[in-house]
Amino acid sequence: MNSFALYEPTSVAEASEILARHGDTARLYAGGTELLLAMKEGLIRYDYLVNVKTIPGLTGLRLDADGALRIGAATPHRALEREPAVRERFPLVARVESDVANVRVREVGTLGGNLCFAEPHSDPATLLQIFDARVRCETARGSREIALGELFVGSFETCLGEDELLTEIVVPPLPARSAAAYRKFGVLERPSVGVAVAVALDDGHVADARIAVGCVGPIPQRMPAAEALLRGRGVDEASANLGEAGRRAARAAEAVSDLHGAADYKEHLVGVLLRRAFDEALATLGAGPRR
Amino acid sequence: MKAVRELAITVRVNGERHELTVAPSELLIDCLRDRLGLLGVKKSCDVQVCGACTVLLDGRPVSACTVPAFETRGRTLRTIEGLADGEALHPVQEAFVEHGALQCGFCTPGMIMATVALLAENPSPTADEVKHYMRGNICRCTGYQRILEAILDAGRRLAAAPR
Amino acid sequence: MKIEREVTIGAPRARVWDFLWDVPRLAACIPGASDVRAVEDGKRYAAVVADKVGPFRVKFPLEIVVLESQPPDHLRARAGGRDTMVDGLVKVDLDLALADAEGGTALRLAADIAVLGKLGTLGHSVIVRRGNDIVDRFTTAVRRALENEDAA
Repeated sequence: MNSFALYEPTSVAEASEILARHGDTARLYAGGTELLLAMKEGLIRYDYLVNVKTIPGLTGLRLDADGALRIGAATPHRALEREPAVRERFPLVARVESDVANVRVREVGTLGGNLCFAEPHSDPATLLQIFDARVRCETARGSREIALGELFVGSFETCLGEDELLTEIVVPPLPARSAAAYRKFGVLERPSVGVAVAVALDDGHVADARIAVGCVGPIPQRMPAAEALLRGRGVDEASANLGEAGRRAARAAEAVSDLHGAADYKEHLVGVLLRRAFDEALATLGAGPRR
Repeated sequence: MKAVRELAITVRVNGERHELTVAPSELLIDCLRDRLGLLGVKKSCDVQVCGACTVLLDGRPVSACTVPAFETRGRTLRTIEGLADGEALHPVQEAFVEHGALQCGFCTPGMIMATVALLAENPSPTADEVKHYMRGNICRCTGYQRILEAILDAGRRLAAAPR
Repeated sequence: MKIEREVTIGAPRARVWDFLWDVPRLAACIPGASDVRAVEDGKRYAAVVADKVGPFRVKFPLEIVVLESQPPDHLRARAGGRDTMVDGLVKVDLDLALADAEGGTALRLAADIAVLGKLGTLGHSVIVRRGNDIVDRFTTAVRRALENEDAA
């Protein structure tokens, strides 16, 4: 790992100014569980690392008045895995967070860091999109809030400006009578396909369907064309449409053939995992599959 | 604000206070092995996947291979060398020995430190909880069954005589 | 990884063939290539290739050797380069075939690309996608260059 100098700012504004001053020779550092690995491998080098853990207010989580989960960007995965508020109100988030890497990575690695590194096989980055999660991004000059899906521009690339910090992740609760499920499959270190589904039912109809697919495309993304095949349909019709919904999702992700599998195999897997996640969500709502 | 190229830190390692000056890029594993002579921390995969370098930072398991040394400032660190009390083995160590939960022994310090952290957090884990927690500690030799039995047994021992 | 592409270029075969040997113009079609020169005309060429995926950058000297040339049908070349900063090795076996087609010339490209060393740890998905992207941009650029030449 190359030698670097360390900044330890005590405010977001200070960190933002440091980033503006040094441009791409500086990088924000939280847990470093992905960044330091890349630096150790020699894939990337930075002259300056900017420690965000010394900025108060970026760690911790709470439920707000609307029941949304507000997570400081520098909160370790382990906190999301273990906090009672998350386990009770957002059990799927707690479960997926508990499956990130291993316990040592979860103790040190942060959700914000995971999202900002924008590795295409991230489970949280896929899952949180079905909650319509948002992220707060701040510079010395101001802040903005964007949909999580907008954060990811490409593999290892976010829309954050050079002097911009991700400071908070907001996860709204699902609508009433909703359930969510996450399924993934892979045999390599990272999964080959990840599918997140949230379903809201209203009198035997799919009032809302949210589908996110990760690992297959360069970024994890919501699949509106697939969702359209489920939303507003009766449960049986939506169920019957799952195969085609899976194909639409895989094509939208632009699967390529690589070590994780052939493109058509991934397309097939998206359909399978979509069906399983959908059925699991329905079962949670007490509206099991009827086939 | 200036960037620093070295930090003066104080860290308590296995109960002993150390004052060190470290570069920000110095990794904990190199600090522990090369400067403090604690060779029980093993450099194996070097990418946080295998767990052979597991040490406890304020009781939490971390990968020494990927944590910068300066992150230990003002904190307590425990390695395998800090478990036994003189000649008396720690109950987790005893359980590993009695259950034959090691062959070459290379993964063992990491396995034991992770177990200590697990049992401090969850004194009576189920087998599934053990497997989930220990998923990031890899063993090439044993096939894991005896490690699992040792951990469950260690939990019972510690419940009987907490350390 | 093996990548195959076929593109129809609105230009006669002889002109497409000549274009492939017009080193500066062909090099301008390769994404990220610069400092292209002939080391031995018709046989060996050198270039510097730069690319980046997110924050990960590579820049390395590429050596290109023409293995076989059958004007105006077929060209086989091998290229290789090593990025010393990142410890990555890139090897490309390239096969270009030209055939008459309706509307001009069909250019068939087959590339066998290997990315070795630490660079590979970025993830195979990322590398395959980038490989496809580079080949797509190359074939599109060649077609545009030749078809605009027509219009000029």
